[in-house]
Amino acid sequence: MSDIDAGRLVGKAAAPARRIRSAGPQGQRAASLGSRVIRRSWPPLLAVIITLLLWEVVYLSGWRPSYVLPDPATVLQRTGEMVASGKFWQALGTTMFRAAAGFGLALGIGTLIGLVVSFSRTLRAAIGSMITGLQTMPSIAWFPFAILLFGLSESAILFVVILGAAPSIANGIISGIDDVPKALIRTASVLGARGLSLYRYVVVPAALPAYLSGLKQGWAFAWRSLMAGELLVIIASKPSLGVQLQFHREFADTAGLMSVMIIILVLGMLIDGVLSRVSNGVRARRGMGPVS
Amino acid sequence: MRLGTAGARGRMPAPEATTERAAISLRGVGKDFRGAAGECVALDGVDLDIDAGDFVCLLGQSGCGKSTLLNLIAGLDSPSRGSIDVGGRRVGMMFQDANLFPWLTVRGNIELALRLSGVPAREFGPRVEELLETVRLPRAASMRPHELSGGMRQRVALARTLAQDCSILLMDEPFAALDAITRDAMHDETERIWLERELTIVFVTHNVRESARLGNRVLVMAPDPGRIDSELRIGLQRPRRMEDPGVADRAAELHRRLSERNEP
Ligand SMILES: Nc1ncnc2c1ncn2[C@@H]1O[C@H](COP(=O)(O)OP(=O)(O)O)[C@@H](O)[C@H]1O
Ligand SMILES: [Mg+2]
Repeated sequence: MSDIDAGRLVGKAAAPARRIRSAGPQGQRAASLGSRVIRRSWPPLLAVIITLLLWEVVYLSGWRPSYVLPDPATVLQRTGEMVASGKFWQALGTTMFRAAAGFGLALGIGTLIGLVVSFSRTLRAAIGSMITGLQTMPSIAWFPFAILLFGLSESAILFVVILGAAPSIANGIISGIDDVPKALIRTASVLGARGLSLYRYVVVPAALPAYLSGLKQGWAFAWRSLMAGELLVIIASKPSLGVQLQFHREFADTAGLMSVMIIILVLGMLIDGVLSRVSNGVRARRGMGPVS
Repeated sequence: MRLGTAGARGRMPAPEATTERAAISLRGVGKDFRGAAGECVALDGVDLDIDAGDFVCLLGQSGCGKSTLLNLIAGLDSPSRGSIDVGGRRVGMMFQDANLFPWLTVRGNIELALRLSGVPAREFGPRVEELLETVRLPRAASMRPHELSGGMRQRVALARTLAQDCSILLMDEPFAALDAITRDAMHDETERIWLERELTIVFVTHNVRESARLGNRVLVMAPDPGRIDSELRIGLQRPRRMEDPGVADRAAELHRRLSERNEP
């Protein structure tokens, strides 16, 4: 095998991959995008249909009177009416502001703690297991304590949301940094990366997928903690999704209650979906994506 | 002879070092590892001088300390005894796995190496082009590591190592995981780049034919403790090919020396 043959061989190997990357005709692309959207969205659609069918069957069986368990059509209609009301948007605003503030603070605190802990071996030993311990603590158990510390206030809710989410985020970054392949570190160090530049250019980017998984888990905990908080820490002047749940329960308005629940479910899934997209995108670019 | 410790190699070469031809010199180098089964002597009493511009292969069975020796020369690890001097030269290293950074494109990988060796960002463009040209992957810049074949990955790893402008290139079984055809091609490239760039190469392998194909000198290593057992000067015309009768001849001799060692 001569030099020239070898070069041609490599050229050939590279060509098909390049062709796949280059843009095809516009129409063909649009069609494939459409079919991809359908292929991706039918499993969740099927899940929704199955749920509605089961619900309808239970309703028709007469297991509970219809004012206790309404049928899907009634609830969906109520959801539509609710979404059209200004009061709902006010409640949604309060809840989403709390979610953003709580998750944002947890993000900052969790990331900082994760970075500092992974930097120092001593801190790692001392705090690492504590963070995992915190993660197993049901965050609702913090509320009585939070209420004693902060009163029935916004701060009590944020405190618990942060305690719920930050450990997952910190753990994500710690395990990400722990699992950076040694071979990459050695390679980076022969390339001249030391100390801070090793962290900036190699360790942190290598830990990114694990960090994003931590964020996703952190979001799930933040959302749960927030809903628990809004049910337990009712602030009269502030309508929120949690307050609405409580309100509908007091008036035994199941249709309204279920409408709020649907909104809570959809919101949680939407944000999780966004985080999943980012996370899957990062993984796919590294060739770590699922085989599909 | 300037005897420095591993830590001293960042300094400028002493004046007399420039008049010497040795690019790498080791004196009484030993390395111990503390393992679960107690102390393990991975290397002992290694004395070695490698001329600037030479192509030296380290040949030996698995576990005889080849990687350990290379890591010591690279400064990835420090010796338990003795001294290593590379006269302040830049040392680049390649491994069996390309170890490309998966979050960066081919261009990104090479640019990171340029950045880490202090090249200003405005020179990145032409330098990346030139390096990819050198390893004959001119159109792969925007590809990602997972989209490349094993041989292409090693080419990128080579380009990334050359980006440091190293004068000493250490290669630890870099082609051991490649198929025979790709490996032959990589041998040709390595030989060409070694000549073009006037590199000093230390190439680790457990393949006798590969060492005879590539090296000017082949150092046969032996285990327990890891040491340099004998040396063979290849003295064949270049460019060479794996199937040259001369190469086969030297390979047979090396094979004889290795198997002699293994008989009790
Ligand atoms: N980090 C380490 N810790 C303990 N023992 C090691 C370490 N690295 C290498 N060794 C030991 O040193 C010896 C030589 O290893 P190595 O240099 O990797 O051999 P080779 O590259 O020739 O296969 C082996 O016995 C190995 O077990
Ligand atoms: Mg080895």
